[in-house]
Amino acid sequence: MTGINRLPAPAGLLIDRSRTRTFKFEGQLVDGCGGDTIASALAANDIWVLSRSFKYRRPRGALTMAGQDANTLVQLPGRPNVPADVEPVSDGLDVRGQNYEGSLAHDRGTWVGWLHRFLPVGFYYKAFYKPRGAWRFWAPFIRRKAGLGRVDEAAPRGYFDKAYLFSDVIVIGGGPAGMSAAITAAKAGAEVILVDENPILGGALNYARFDAAGEAGARERQRLVESVAAQDGIQVMTGTVANGWFADNFVALMRGNRMFKVRAREVVLATGAMEQPLVFRNNDLPRIMMGTAAQRLIRLYGIRPGTRAVVATANDDGYGVALDLADAGVQIGAVADLRAEPDAGEMAAAAKATGIRVETGCTISSAIPGGGGRSVRGAVLSRIEGRGTYGGGETVDCDLVCMSVGYAPAGQLPCHDGGRLAMDEKTSTFVLRNLPAHGHAAGSVNGSRALDTVLAEGVHAGWRAAAALGLEAGAEPAVPEARGADDRNHDWPLFPHEDGKDFVDFDEDLQVQDILNACADGFDDIELTKRYSTVGMGPSQGRHSALNALRLVYRATGRSLADAPPTTVRPPYTAETFGVLAGRNFEPVRYTPMHHRHLESGARMMVAGPWMRPSFYGAPHDRERSVREEVRAVRGGVGMLDVSTLGGIEIRGPDAAEFLNRMYTFTYARQPVGRSRYLMMCDQTGVIVDDGVTCRFHERHFYVTTTSSGASDVYREMLWWNAQWRLAVDISDVTNAYAAVSLAGPEARKLLVPLADDIDLSPDAFPYMDVRTGHVGGIPARLLRIGFVGELGFEIHVPSSQGEALWDALMSAGEAHGIRPFGLEAQRVLRLEKGHVIIGQDTDGLTYPAEANMTWAISRKKPFFVGGRANRVHEARPLLRKLVGFAIHDPKAPVPEECHLTLYGNDIAGRVTSAARSEALGCIIGLAYVAPAQAEIGASFPIKIGQGRFLEAEVVPVPFYDPDNRRQEM
Amino acid sequence: MRCPLNGPRNISEFVYGGEVVGMPDPETVSDADWADHVFLEDNRRGVVREWWLHVATAYWFIAERDTATDEIVRTYPSSDVFTERVSFPVPGGKGGGT
Amino acid sequence: MSDGGVSPAELPRRSPVYRELAFAGARFVEAHGGAVAESFAIDAAAEIRTARRLALADFSLLPHLGFKGRETVDWLRRQGVDVGDRDNLAYRQSDGALAARLAPREVLLISDVAGRSGLCKRLAAAASIDEEIEAFPVPRGDGYFWFLVSGERAAAMFAKVCGVDLRTGKFSELEIAQTSVARMNAVVVRDDLGDTPAYHILGDVASAGYLWACLLDAMEEFDGGLAGLGTVRRLAGL
Repeated sequence: MTGINRLPAPAGLLIDRSRTRTFKFEGQLVDGCGGDTIASALAANDIWVLSRSFKYRRPRGALTMAGQDANTLVQLPGRPNVPADVEPVSDGLDVRGQNYEGSLAHDRGTWVGWLHRFLPVGFYYKAFYKPRGAWRFWAPFIRRKAGLGRVDEAAPRGYFDKAYLFSDVIVIGGGPAGMSAAITAAKAGAEVILVDENPILGGALNYARFDAAGEAGARERQRLVESVAAQDGIQVMTGTVANGWFADNFVALMRGNRMFKVRAREVVLATGAMEQPLVFRNNDLPRIMMGTAAQRLIRLYGIRPGTRAVVATANDDGYGVALDLADAGVQIGAVADLRAEPDAGEMAAAAKATGIRVETGCTISSAIPGGGGRSVRGAVLSRIEGRGTYGGGETVDCDLVCMSVGYAPAGQLPCHDGGRLAMDEKTSTFVLRNLPAHGHAAGSVNGSRALDTVLAEGVHAGWRAAAALGLEAGAEPAVPEARGADDRNHDWPLFPHEDGKDFVDFDEDLQVQDILNACADGFDDIELTKRYSTVGMGPSQGRHSALNALRLVYRATGRSLADAPPTTVRPPYTAETFGVLAGRNFEPVRYTPMHHRHLESGARMMVAGPWMRPSFYGAPHDRERSVREEVRAVRGGVGMLDVSTLGGIEIRGPDAAEFLNRMYTFTYARQPVGRSRYLMMCDQTGVIVDDGVTCRFHERHFYVTTTSSGASDVYREMLWWNAQWRLAVDISDVTNAYAAVSLAGPEARKLLVPLADDIDLSPDAFPYMDVRTGHVGGIPARLLRIGFVGELGFEIHVPSSQGEALWDALMSAGEAHGIRPFGLEAQRVLRLEKGHVIIGQDTDGLTYPAEANMTWAISRKKPFFVGGRANRVHEARPLLRKLVGFAIHDPKAPVPEECHLTLYGNDIAGRVTSAARSEALGCIIGLAYVAPAQAEIGASFPIKIGQGRFLEAEVVPVPFYDPDNRRQEM
Repeated sequence: MRCPLNGPRNISEFVYGGEVVGMPDPETVSDADWADHVFLEDNRRGVVREWWLHVATAYWFIAERDTATDEIVRTYPSSDVFTERVSFPVPGGKGGGT
Repeated sequence: MSDGGVSPAELPRRSPVYRELAFAGARFVEAHGGAVAESFAIDAAAEIRTARRLALADFSLLPHLGFKGRETVDWLRRQGVDVGDRDNLAYRQSDGALAARLAPREVLLISDVAGRSGLCKRLAAAASIDEEIEAFPVPRGDGYFWFLVSGERAAAMFAKVCGVDLRTGKFSELEIAQTSVARMNAVVVRDDLGDTPAYHILGDVASAGYLWACLLDAMEEFDGGLAGLGTVRRLAGL
């Protein structure tokens, strides 16, 4: 037998008495059974204090035994804030309490409780924000005091992932209503997922009492569970939480380390109800719990929750609790029935027949704490005189207090997708309104409690879901009598005490007076009350405080509760770990066909848009030297750069030239076949967004390149425009079909000649800016005689499957010429020496062509091109800045960085966009935006380089290197 | 959202492309009206026509969406709206582009 | 690397995942200008069992070719290709190749799983820009990797990376889904190998290595493995 409080079988539906689980709690070894939760195993061993409260450090124990309250949050290794009442025990588990100093039993921080009158509601706002800066002083102290569990930064990485699930119907909640709905819908042929957060199906049937004999629950459970198992088409997912319900019935489920994303056509909401607390002095002591919590302990875990109990109730269910307790061997001190004239219920009659003492029109007004507030030793019964008022008091000895004074629907999920909760005055609880389309509520979430009504509602919801799917579901079953007749909530279960500690919100230690004070401070809208007082903001998210807080706020402000809404409900329904949200973390990476060759050559790779590209080849510490040598190789011999990342788009059809004329700024109608031409693209506001080269291979065929990061945007933009223009042109993105290299340097032609046997590479036959098709090393290729780096060069585009073979062929043929692969860093220096602009680096989201000296690329003769109209507006206005080339001749000057500011007088004129030390030119060169008045050749301007230092730069003509372009046209 | 080509898909497969608006004649429109056209959206409450792109197929289509409820009323190919080849007259007026 | 067969790096056409195949112990044979993985396991019967359960195969070097343009469907019909009349369906040709209709103006042709179909080659040669016909070849054979996922557990594995319901009862043979797989764009075509469910998956060749790793990771819990083309042919009865 594990634990002195363990009841004999058959009590204990979830536990396996044949297996012992030994774990540590606060350093002490504790034995539980297989199937126990941490809290139940501790309760079996008469350990009831699980945590200390957030503000006053009061000892707390389980309130719901359903994972719904913050009282049970414990620390596991690497996992803070674990609800002990649902977390299973396992051998060797090391469990600690949270939120105390010293030990859980003797917290050195309890003095805070004595200060409660100096900790008024809104205390933090009031106390620590004046004088200015005070919060910074107080924050570390308060955070240490108020913290929940500890995050272990060294906790091992878990493996989390996500999966989709598809079904016609998802039924959320595996209780009597949910199981009935699932069976009905599946019988009609629907594919059903039945989800429940508990380890087994059954819901309230597993623990609650529905009749005097105490047999109906087990009987119905057995019938329904067997029917579910026998019914085809139901996928049962227990231990699974539905945590969000989003647009178009997208339901997020969490099970272990996996999130399931379910798209269902119909959703049946059968999530049940949550029992609500009674507010009285010391209602937070350990072993003051919901009636259903006591029933869960008895039936699920086989635990006797006390020796002598007082039950406060306002419905027949409370008598069921009393009967269950009596059956479990607990003496009943008294049943305090809040109702003055209770309806005669079946279980009330049975309870009275056993001789249990029943007081009507009576409440518990206070609980008497035992041993340092770690237990309860008596309940004071008082006569109810009015709404929340009472008189007299008689102390009844007890070590257990059960509260059964009403329920609130677990209606959070539909509120994620437009549903809302509102107060129904007649039943004194929330009702669900505006269920999402294709949502059906059934059972106690719908306000129904009587078992036959719940079952009938389940059948009806299942039928409606099936009917909505167009399935043959037979005649509509009888609609159960409307909820509302079933009134189990007391309309005012709040009995404030002049000495306080009458808790409305256990998470945040808020008492009745705190809520009233918030209203008095002017925060009397429920949303404001919540934020000011923090009511409902703790881990249990108002599950037990929303109803009572609303009652208090509306009464304090003299408003009618009819239709009053609680605070907005947002996802998630329960706490979720970041790992579950992150999942497997899919992030597509793009590699060129030559990627592994780069790695084998010692390349340092860098992220460039969606691509991985070589930054330079060499050891990290050798970066500067490597880049310098790569630059030298291109200027003096031959280098090769992988440019497979350039976007490639085929434009084909009778309107191909007209289409380019509209998309780009230049004119392409008369571009000769076999020639290439520069491309500049603007957006509708006239800002430069991309550039590239177009090759005309045929009257009706252009091959267009884009920047490496711009390919997909340019392609989309082209398709979007032509969806409107409807030109006779086909636009195909072939970026990934081509691998490409840029072979550049004075030796480039010599290297290539032996490989290109069907293309005449001589300068006359293949002049600068021409394009050819043929073969390189036997590989079909498109050759472009263009050069971004300002040397004799060829861009060679080949089918990507042969990109690596091309690389291999060129590297081996180039060996004799001292070929060297170069990376992006060298390319940036080389193109800067030529004054070439990189779109997105030397331009920004506002740069229009005149600012970047690009008006030469604009055709004035075309009727229309994208950005043309806006460009006319820009050009009619004075320039505000201009991109210039600059040189810094001081040999000791550091190289300015991108985005260092340029100044004009005391004003910011612009910024440096590119800068590098040029070996070819023997100075620092760069591009920068300056004021138009500073843009004359020979003018100088200051660059602010940080730490109050300035560099003087001189405006020089571009290109810096080989201004007559002789080298690239060799 | 229902893609006219691919059927119902998760919204994460789509990219929004702005409201469907006619382009004013660039030759006659004032600078201010052009600026209005390129920078401002009406942002109306109610059913509006919008461009949407199904990313996996690079397919642009039009959706009618209620901006108040976020309900997508219907979707259809852009060719239902844009039926004719658009030409821009050469300034001075001598016929189409090609 | 491999016993007796060829080495991929000796041939001009190379699969984007040839290193992964070699690392997994592939036995390569020369085909389509490159080296294709013929088998992985020593025990051929075991590899067939794997393929029936859940396996990934690389088809990237097998012929596949796109056509686009507003006269694509008409022109292909004139070339004797059955392109049917519904988008997002694939149509089987007499030589086993598939014509996958991706859009009203776009068709993707993929060879039979044995790679014997000469359709792509024939059509690539037939298409000429001089013809003034708006049906243009798109080199998907290079732009798209081509994998095949086979086995009873394939749909369950796909549910971890793809939001479209690919279960056999919901996604028919020769149906096409153009969707997001592990957050990249892909074309998925169901094409069973005999009675074993199978799906072609084609997408951006530059992310082939990324997706290969994603799929292997997703397959792990279902006891998935790799299959060579020989195994695939045997399942298909070719």
